[in-house]
Amino acid sequence: MSKPRPRLPRRARNLAALVAVAVLLAGCAGLEPPAAVTAQGQDTRNLYDLVFIVGVAIFVLVEGLIIFAVLRYRRKPTDTELPPQIHGNSVLEVIWTVIPTALVVVLFVLSWQTLNKVNAVSPSPALTVRAVAAQFQWSFEYLAADGQTVQYEQLAPELDLPVGVDVHVILRSKDVIHAFYVPKFLFKRDVVPGRENNFDFTIDAADANQTFRGQCAEFCGTFHSTMLFSVKALTPTDFNAWLQGQIKAAAATPAPAPSASGGVAATTVELSAHNIAFDQTALQAPAGQPFVIKFTNNDPGVTHNVAITDSSGQQVFKGEIFAGPDSRQYPIPALAAGTYSFACSVHPQMTGTLTVK
Amino acid sequence: MATTTLRTSTGYRSGLYEWLTTTDHKKIGILYLANSILMFLLGGIFALVVRLELAQPGLQFLSDSAYNQAFTIHASLMLFLFVIPVLAGFGNYIVPLMIGAPDMAFPRINAFSFWLLPLAAIVMLSGFATGGGAAAAGWTEYSPLAQAKYEGIGTDLWIVALLLIGTSSILGAINFIVTIFKMRAPGMTLLRMPVMVWTVLVTSILVLMATPVLTSALIMLFIDRNLGGHFFDPATGGNAILWQNTFWFYSHPAVYIMVLPAMGIISEVLPVFSRKPLFGYKAFIFATAAIGALGFSVWAHHMFTTGAVYLPFFSFMTFLIAIPTGVKMFNWIATMFRGQLTFSTPLLYAIGFLTMFLIGGINGAFSAAVPVDFAIHDTYWVVAHIHYVLFGGSVFAVFAGLYYWWPKMFGRRLNETLGKIQFVFMFIGFNLTFFPMHILGLSGMPRRIADYDPNAGWNDLNLLATIGGFTIAASLLPFLWNVFITFRSGEPAGDDPWEGNTLEWATSSPPPPYNFDHLPEIRSERPVFDARHRATHA
Repeated sequence: MSKPRPRLPRRARNLAALVAVAVLLAGCAGLEPPAAVTAQGQDTRNLYDLVFIVGVAIFVLVEGLIIFAVLRYRRKPTDTELPPQIHGNSVLEVIWTVIPTALVVVLFVLSWQTLNKVNAVSPSPALTVRAVAAQFQWSFEYLAADGQTVQYEQLAPELDLPVGVDVHVILRSKDVIHAFYVPKFLFKRDVVPGRENNFDFTIDAADANQTFRGQCAEFCGTFHSTMLFSVKALTPTDFNAWLQGQIKAAAATPAPAPSASGGVAATTVELSAHNIAFDQTALQAPAGQPFVIKFTNNDPGVTHNVAITDSSGQQVFKGEIFAGPDSRQYPIPALAAGTYSFACSVHPQMTGTLTVK
Repeated sequence: MATTTLRTSTGYRSGLYEWLTTTDHKKIGILYLANSILMFLLGGIFALVVRLELAQPGLQFLSDSAYNQAFTIHASLMLFLFVIPVLAGFGNYIVPLMIGAPDMAFPRINAFSFWLLPLAAIVMLSGFATGGGAAAAGWTEYSPLAQAKYEGIGTDLWIVALLLIGTSSILGAINFIVTIFKMRAPGMTLLRMPVMVWTVLVTSILVLMATPVLTSALIMLFIDRNLGGHFFDPATGGNAILWQNTFWFYSHPAVYIMVLPAMGIISEVLPVFSRKPLFGYKAFIFATAAIGALGFSVWAHHMFTTGAVYLPFFSFMTFLIAIPTGVKMFNWIATMFRGQLTFSTPLLYAIGFLTMFLIGGINGAFSAAVPVDFAIHDTYWVVAHIHYVLFGGSVFAVFAGLYYWWPKMFGRRLNETLGKIQFVFMFIGFNLTFFPMHILGLSGMPRRIADYDPNAGWNDLNLLATIGGFTIAASLLPFLWNVFITFRSGEPAGDDPWEGNTLEWATSSPPPPYNFDHLPEIRSERPVFDARHRATHA
């Protein structure tokens, strides 16, 4: 047996204890989920807070006992005799079996009650949206009141939703398992091929006009990390106006693509996408005259497009979204000189700069 | 009183030939440990690759595909070729010694079980040499992603490797069960067996009951991929959730396979370095058996978000399994109370286990509350949880066991100073790596993503975790140096350097073939303690 080491100087020990407490507090401060923006998320948050309090209490108690034992029962040079050989204590065993049992039964009952609220599905939701997941993109189908007819299909990664009303989401996968996850909803549900999962939520009215990040949370293949979406919360009035506008726009026959007429060959800019990335991040085009972007999508089964936004953030062009491998000629209207940005509507992280001069 | 004829190593065999053909459980145990630590280092390199890529947003070093292979192979190596075999290695070395047996019941099967493992490692890693790369659908290989239309031949190699490892586990489990039931020395009743032996026994029963389910699932997946089966792909009439049910029916009990023997190691180390018996020996055994039994009824808590699980049942069972684990924790602490603690390296690692495994238990309880699981499932919170259980728990216990039994295995003690330096670095690095992951998970960072939005607020914590990962890697340098200098000029240990309790300390270090020429009387679970203190012991 090695000799017991001399104790650390008191100041060093106090310092170490202070540092440990500071780290612990800093850690605890970060250990809270984001503020929930749905009624269901708030229920989950309340349950989380309860479990957290119980967890911290157990942590402090048990780590405290360990640290106490470590500091108090160090072997001293005078300890030549054996300590008392205690083999156990039935009363203690019963105590530390019964109390945790009571605790977990209470936690179970409370979490079951919360589960029933979080999982509840309304028979008459104000809106039904079908989220369709495929490698590596989301699309969102806004269903009519019958819960069947698709009124409008949104291919962009934005999911517009009304606040303050019950929204019903149906999940459908075209290929592998994905998961619909919005961290600020404190909720996720797997999108399983061969079955239709569904759930309800109500976004708090106070959160109108906010955007929440969403992401596929079940590993779904090579470009899993690019499978992003965002939830845009609108007031019910704004939402209805938006949805009716989209339905009308989709119903209108798409205008035939204007060809570069007059015998003058329009400038053609080439761009391609591969592995969820553009091959170029800087394009140039002539100012004041229409031009063509020849866009080649080299990702099999993955949809892309090109959308152009001016410096004020206004979208000036949005090309058709299509799956690769394929290509399209996008006719771009005349643009004023300046710097624009372009991006893929499906994968907002695919971006570049378009210089018009 | 068991007596065996001592026989020194037969003269005509060279050292290498002896190691390649040995059926001695001690040599096989050391082979298991050496191979597992090699896999630990290799799996660690994959972990560093993953952490390096995640240190900052954007893809700096890897393609998406290479990243997916890296985390898949990291987890597969660590779980199937490190944690499970390293504990089987301790069991192989120590169980026959602890029960006073000359060897395992089936020495040749024992050797066969071991040699399947390096073969499996080669098969799994050979995926990197194929066109599509190694398996990349995560260590869980969820279908349909694991089907042939999405994943290349690396996945077939992964399946074959797991079949080999599963066969090795099943054979090993049968060997342990027969050895423990049939080969105990006179006086070594079941309730005098060291807790380590009990944990290996319960683990072996888990392996025997759970592994065949995984094996059949793997074969079905192989048929799906190569022969047009219709098991797990809904596109051909299969059921995607069926894979998850069969996979987790093995892989949740497997968590206990990866933790129970680690608890056994801790239960040997704490009493010796506290100079007290384990508090509540019988309660401990009941708790071990309870964890084993309950372990079969919680698998679907990995599937709460699938929408295809009866949630209250699996939630309740998951909460329940905290109780026997808590009983163990209190028994360990009570063992230290009123003891005389000597802070040798094994005890440091054991205390590291207690403090960190506790966190792994508490953060796991969050997932038992189903709505909270909806929030944190498949995020970095879960990554933090499994590492607090399997690193904070099992890996710390593995090092406690290595430092504790090294003198018995090789007759020399590992250097204490280097051991303590390693512990400090590993403890700090471990917490730097994995504690921030709780916060990342809560703020919505999913696991298994190669890249993340630079504006999501995850940059600093990811960098911190990467620094922590490299700190852990640095902590292994003093360990490797320690092993090197100990082989060259380590301090001779003697037969019983720690004043141990159990029978392995009653023979020489290292023990001779067939282990004992003389056994002390076995009248309790601490026969060597009894022999040492007979003069003064009441």
